[in-house]
Amino acid sequence: MTNHWNDLQHTDVAMIIGANPAENHPISFRWLLKARERGGKIISVDPRFTRSSAQADLYSPLRSGTDIAFIGGMINYTLQNNLFHKEYVAKYTNASFIVKKSFKFDDGLFSGFDEATSSYDKTQWAFETDKDGKPLRDEKLENPRSVFQLMKKHYSRYDAETVSTVTGSPKEDFLKVCELFCSTGKAGKAGTIMYAMGTTQHTVGTQNVRSYAMLQLLLGNIGLPGGGVNALRGESNVQGSTDFALLWGDLPGYIGAPKAIPEHATLEAFLEKETPKAGYWSNKPKFVVSLLKAWYGPNATKDNEFAYQMLPKGNKNYSHISLFNAMYKGELEGTFLFGQNPVVGGPNAGKEKESLSNLKWMVAVDLWETETSSFWQKEAGSDPSTIATEVFLLPASSSFEKEGSVTNSSRWMQYRWKAIDSRGEAKADLEIIHILATKIKELYKNESTPAAQPIKALHWEYGHGDHPDIDIVCKEINGYDYKTGKQVPGFGALMDDGSTCSGNWIYSGFYPEEGNNRSKSRDSKNTDGGTNFLNWSYAWPANRRILYNRASADPSGKPWSEERAVINWDASQKKWVGNDIPDFVPTKAPTDEGGTNPFIMLGDGVAGMFVPTLNDGPFPEHYEPFESPVPNVFSSVEMNPTVKVWDGDFNKKGNYKDFPIVATTYRVSEHWQSGSMTRNQEWLSELVAHMYVEISEELAKEKGIKNKDKIVVSSARGDVTAYAMVTKRFKPYKLNGGTIHHIGMPWHFGYKGYATGDTANRLTPHIGDANTMIPEYKAFLCNVRRA
Amino acid sequence: MATKYVKYVDVTKCDGCRACMVACKNWNDLPAEPQDFLGSMQSHANVTADTWNVLTFVEHENSKGNLDYLFRHSSCFHCTDAACEKVCPENAISYTDKGMVVVDQEVCVGCGYCEQNCPFDVIHLKTYKDENGKEYRKAHKCTMCTDRLDEGLQPACVTTCHTGAMEFGEKDEIISKAEKRVKEIKERYPNAQVYNPQGVGGTHTIYVLAEKPSVYGLPENPKVPTSAVLWKDYAQPIGKAMVGGVAMALAGAFVANKFFDKKNGGQEEDGGGNHE
Amino acid sequence: MGVATMSKTHNSQLQVKRFSKAFVWAHAINGIAFIGLYITALPMYTEFFDWLYPLMGGPEGARLAHRVLAVAFILPTFIFLIFDPKGFMNWMKELVTWKKRDLQFFSEFVKELFGFKSKHVKQTFFNAGEKINSLLQIVCAILLIASGFTMWFPDAFPTALVQWGYFLHNVGFGLGFAVVLGHIYLSVIHKNSRPGFTGVITGKVPAEWAKDHYTEWYEEEVKKGNFPDLDDPKNNKKKGA
Ligand SMILES: Nc1nc2c(c(=O)[nH]1)N[C@H]1C(S)=C(S)[C@@H](COP(=O)(O)OP(=O)(O)OC[C@H]3O[C@@H](n4cnc5c(=O)[nH]c(N)nc54)[C@H](O)[C@@H]3O)O[C@H]1N2
Ligand SMILES: Nc1nc2c(c(=O)[nH]1)N[C@H]1C(S)=C(S)[C@@H](COP(=O)(O)OP(=O)(O)OC[C@H]3O[C@@H](n4cnc5c(=O)[nH]c(N)nc54)[C@H](O)[C@@H]3O)O[C@H]1N2
Ligand code: HEM
Ligand code: HEM
Ligand code: SF4
Ligand code: SF4
Ligand code: SF4
Ligand code: SF4
Ligand code: SF4
Ligand SMILES: [Mo]
Repeated sequence: MTNHWNDLQHTDVAMIIGANPAENHPISFRWLLKARERGGKIISVDPRFTRSSAQADLYSPLRSGTDIAFIGGMINYTLQNNLFHKEYVAKYTNASFIVKKSFKFDDGLFSGFDEATSSYDKTQWAFETDKDGKPLRDEKLENPRSVFQLMKKHYSRYDAETVSTVTGSPKEDFLKVCELFCSTGKAGKAGTIMYAMGTTQHTVGTQNVRSYAMLQLLLGNIGLPGGGVNALRGESNVQGSTDFALLWGDLPGYIGAPKAIPEHATLEAFLEKETPKAGYWSNKPKFVVSLLKAWYGPNATKDNEFAYQMLPKGNKNYSHISLFNAMYKGELEGTFLFGQNPVVGGPNAGKEKESLSNLKWMVAVDLWETETSSFWQKEAGSDPSTIATEVFLLPASSSFEKEGSVTNSSRWMQYRWKAIDSRGEAKADLEIIHILATKIKELYKNESTPAAQPIKALHWEYGHGDHPDIDIVCKEINGYDYKTGKQVPGFGALMDDGSTCSGNWIYSGFYPEEGNNRSKSRDSKNTDGGTNFLNWSYAWPANRRILYNRASADPSGKPWSEERAVINWDASQKKWVGNDIPDFVPTKAPTDEGGTNPFIMLGDGVAGMFVPTLNDGPFPEHYEPFESPVPNVFSSVEMNPTVKVWDGDFNKKGNYKDFPIVATTYRVSEHWQSGSMTRNQEWLSELVAHMYVEISEELAKEKGIKNKDKIVVSSARGDVTAYAMVTKRFKPYKLNGGTIHHIGMPWHFGYKGYATGDTANRLTPHIGDANTMIPEYKAFLCNVRRA
Repeated sequence: MATKYVKYVDVTKCDGCRACMVACKNWNDLPAEPQDFLGSMQSHANVTADTWNVLTFVEHENSKGNLDYLFRHSSCFHCTDAACEKVCPENAISYTDKGMVVVDQEVCVGCGYCEQNCPFDVIHLKTYKDENGKEYRKAHKCTMCTDRLDEGLQPACVTTCHTGAMEFGEKDEIISKAEKRVKEIKERYPNAQVYNPQGVGGTHTIYVLAEKPSVYGLPENPKVPTSAVLWKDYAQPIGKAMVGGVAMALAGAFVANKFFDKKNGGQEEDGGGNHE
Repeated sequence: MGVATMSKTHNSQLQVKRFSKAFVWAHAINGIAFIGLYITALPMYTEFFDWLYPLMGGPEGARLAHRVLAVAFILPTFIFLIFDPKGFMNWMKELVTWKKRDLQFFSEFVKELFGFKSKHVKQTFFNAGEKINSLLQIVCAILLIASGFTMWFPDAFPTALVQWGYFLHNVGFGLGFAVVLGHIYLSVIHKNSRPGFTGVITGKVPAEWAKDHYTEWYEEEVKKGNFPDLDDPKNNKKKGA
């Protein structure tokens, strides 16, 4: 989230698109309803009418997989009707930048596309620069090669009529959404976009998010209370885990992991290549060296590149689908599954189950025996005699049985204390990792093979015995001066000479001095006058609550409006003051060099309307999902041309003729994810006790299905049996003149626990987003019949 | 009179999360009761002796032709004139000084009169087995977490409700709050209303409904059943008086008869009538 | 109570059959069940009688007994109907035939009840009072049985019916109490009816009493040759003496 949960109460219009927070992020509704009491409005855009839609003032359906068409239409509406925040756009975004002539867009393809590699030559999308390398700008936004004019042209194709034809959203509904949401383009108004998996789980997931960001920038909604692009994160600590390099291409703190390419051969080369000249990332070497110091301690010296060579380097794609593909092909020997249940939660789950049987060994670390750790059993539909995989199940402690922190969507790192002891032999994940690390180090102690080097180099000093000292871990994450052992006050103090360490630079500052672990702060008094509660937990970076808050003030440093003030430049004190930590150099005056550049993490200091770094293009463009019921109306390119397509048995594709119905998958309040945590709990199981499929009354009639009938849903990958939930909340979609049916189902079920049912993921395809590889769980084709 | 308290349910703020259902089971230690698939998101068709509140889900096309997805936390209303209390033959049901209607399972004999007479169908019998395998039944329903109220806490469901759809407070304050709320939402829900039915003397679970009560499956004008009023307020007292009266009359007749018999020279032996 | 005295002081050698075995049994079972139902119902009816519960195995015991007795209460009608269909039909016929003399009976009856002198009105098998009693008993029984069933099996009936059932059952209780108390008083305690009480137990009643009370019936039976003619002196020692 650029903003935070409590901050939602300040919004004038919340557009919930690609999320269902009433069910999946219920607490958000506490704040949204507060906003509504102040006159705020809620919009819900979702293929089906959800519990969030029930609370919305305005609902528009849209066919799954068509967010870019919808938002593209909104961008067009904003531009055509002059509803955008002109000064904000001109000053704080790259809309004024001039794009090189080499950038072109023609029939669905941007310039620089290479068929053979399914990738773009991104250099063709560069900006015109002056002799200092600074982008040329036209703040009047009139230059035909300006981002603004190119954008205007690009989205002029997204007129309301076409949008409605593609998305299936009735034109009136679409225009009502435009009218209401774009009303936040005025100064003094703020609109927020709340999104989650309905947005991201697509072959165009990243560009979906991009389209939201562009709209918000146009409306000047970023950096102010009640505004922002707010990703409603998933698992309780998924924010924390991505911060700590859960993503396969990252080191902690969103530092791109080095690859096995010549440019990354040495630390120096790597830093040279990956450090931008301007913006906050110009400090990257300090973060990287401090990280290496944290990991390798005394073994990281200036002379040995701070043990840079100990880092694994590869060029492979280590995303979920790729890993399972490797497993499927027998390329992986073993795997550790820490708290995941892919036989239920993975895409094309039938194949994922099959893949597991190609492993020699598998270690599952979990609270329960899940469908995954028992994939080899008869009940799972397997023949144990043909499976050679050796499976270990390590019992893990639940969150209540251990100490540590979780970071929520607000980026708040909140410490939690143990409530009860673990049962049986269960251990906290941290303990399991600790024991593993010490045992493995022990085993490699006397070895000198290349494989042993990184293990031996690892500095693992977190106390003795099976219980690591979490406080030592915390202190290391914050970072300290390597000589004095004193905690550093924040990432500003990190050095690239090996004198400091920090396990994750973005968290540096949460433990600024001995005895002050700020993630333990629990002061619920509202000390700031706003609702930022600066003394409740610790928000990275630097405890600021609203990111890019410099943008809440005009270029001169005065808030755009008093109601939406966060920080302002106090000329007498010569610093930025307000009710949040400035997301800016606190003493940099508006008149200083870069004093009007609020997006300090970006090289240019302004937000990107045009982003020349993503794999699939600088502007979001609508493409149909991997499996689509209709041809792309916008161009002759059907699917995002840059996605990686796995073929053969691993990823069968269904066509419209055999599978004419669009399907999507989603969650319900009552279940958690793959269901291990809730299907093993009776009170939750009784609330949603059966696998069901939501279908419209019209489709039901067509197929002779009555409510509560058992039905079979099939895709090219498999079929599932479930109850039909015939509902008014799903309506057929009118597209290109034809009627397309759309269904949806929860993906929480498996055969274990109290509430059992078929696994929806037996239907979903093995295909992912072009940038993140997140699977396209949200749009695929199927057919439906009575069981 | 002690201050009366109510549970306030503003359904227009409810997002259907059903935390209230779980909180109730958790606090009151109630077992799960998995049901067959009901064809909607609703888990249980109605409250039961083991499921004291149920979230109802209604798909309703409103007067503007738009779809409303209506949620309602449904539990005992804690009527001011509680039919269940009225009809209970064992006085197992009583009012607390805060206005709640509670069942004393020690006294309850499981006759089910309450179940049959509750105008809202929210009190039900649970079947138990004693150690000999013999079945017996007890009436159960929402207690308004009286045990929590006694400790100065609020009902478990109210405490857990994250949207503020439920509140607990003094009756008069809540009623004005509810009325104010209805005014606020009239534009969006023209049929919005406070549901505090006077046919049962008002209730201690008070709703702000977005639609007419019948849309939620609630009676428009619930009242203590006329039969129950006639039964308990008329038939029973008259019956008692009559039983007493007849007994007295017969006793009187007996005495009078004896008296006249003596005067007439003890004709009781003749076996015939007193005719000539 | 008065049975022993009756048989020795009265000219009772001459007995006639008034009630069939079926009726006697039916009536006895019915009567006992009825009393049982009342006793078990009393503590349910009012807390005043809660002290009865412990005697019946608590509220559960009382309720169980009430149900058992309810069955016992319903059975007799069938016993009577099956084993003495003629008697049953006769009874039914009596109940629906009302003549002028039936109405006359009442004014005299009230006098008789309180021991005043009264004029005898000729009656058939049942006198008008007994007919009223029968009718009231039947109405009451139907009321109680019907409503009792709705209470017993509430799930089998619409809620409204069950709710009204409680009311009607309760009314039945009150009504039944009055009627039966009257019935018992007249048939057991009131001196002139005592032979009838013996009759309802043995089936037989003194011929003379029968002739006095149910003249028309008696005379009809005499004509049929079933009963002795008491006006024949050899049959009536007392009068002839
Ligand atoms: N109760 C509960 N809460 C949870 C979870 C849970 O399992 N249970 N999981 C957590 C996790 S890990 C995550 S990631 C989050 C996910 O949170 P959400 O993203 O809110 O979860 P979903 O229900 O998967 O998807 C949201 C909505 O997207 C809609 N949708 C489908 N396709 C499209 C589309 O193409 N465009 C748009 N605009 N909408 C679409 C679906 O109909 C659905 O209503 O929830 C978290 N919270
Ligand atoms: N069709 C479809 N599929 C989806 C999605 C979708 O929207 N549609 N959403 C996707 C998303 S967003 C996500 S995040 C994934 C989630 O997929 P998974 O992560 O596989 O799902 P979970 O059920 O969260 O698995 C967590 C496991 O961790 C265990 N666990 C809980 N606490 C602990 C602990 O403290 N330690 C350890 N070691 N284990 C623990 C639980 O028992 C459970 O078995 O699913 C994805 N799958
Ligand atoms: C002489 C006849 C009867 C009398 C006087 C009588 C009286 C009563 C009374 C007073 C009650 C308590 C209800 C109240 O408080 O109003 C009661 C309950 C009941 N009666 Fe009867 N009743 C009689 C016959 C029957 C019959 C014939 C049946 C069944 C067919 C029956 C079935 C019941 C049942 C099921 C109950 C409910 C008991 C419980 O579970 O609490 N009764 N009766
Ligand atoms: C529910 C209970 C009862 C019912 C429905 C009932 C019904 C009847 C009926 C229909 C008759 C036939 C003639 C008449 O109406 O008098 C009768 C006769 C009689 N009953 Fe009952 N009775 C009941 C209980 C009792 C009880 C408890 C007693 C005495 C303890 C009693 C004593 C008599 C006597 C003595 C007669 C004979 C009167 C005659 O000579 O015809 N009855 N009863
Ligand atoms: S599930 Fe937990 S974290 Fe989410 S809203 Fe409910 S209480 Fe809060
Ligand atoms: S709602 Fe029903 S159970 Fe609750 S107090 Fe009223 S009558 Fe009794
Ligand atoms: S079931 Fe229990 S509480 Fe209900 S009326 Fe009967 S005795 Fe009273
Ligand atoms: S008040 Fe208490 S008993 Fe009643 S529904 Fe709420 S939690 Fe359950
Ligand atoms: S807890 Fe509150 S919001 Fe959730 S279902 Fe219950 S009443 Fe509605
Ligand atoms: Mo997630």
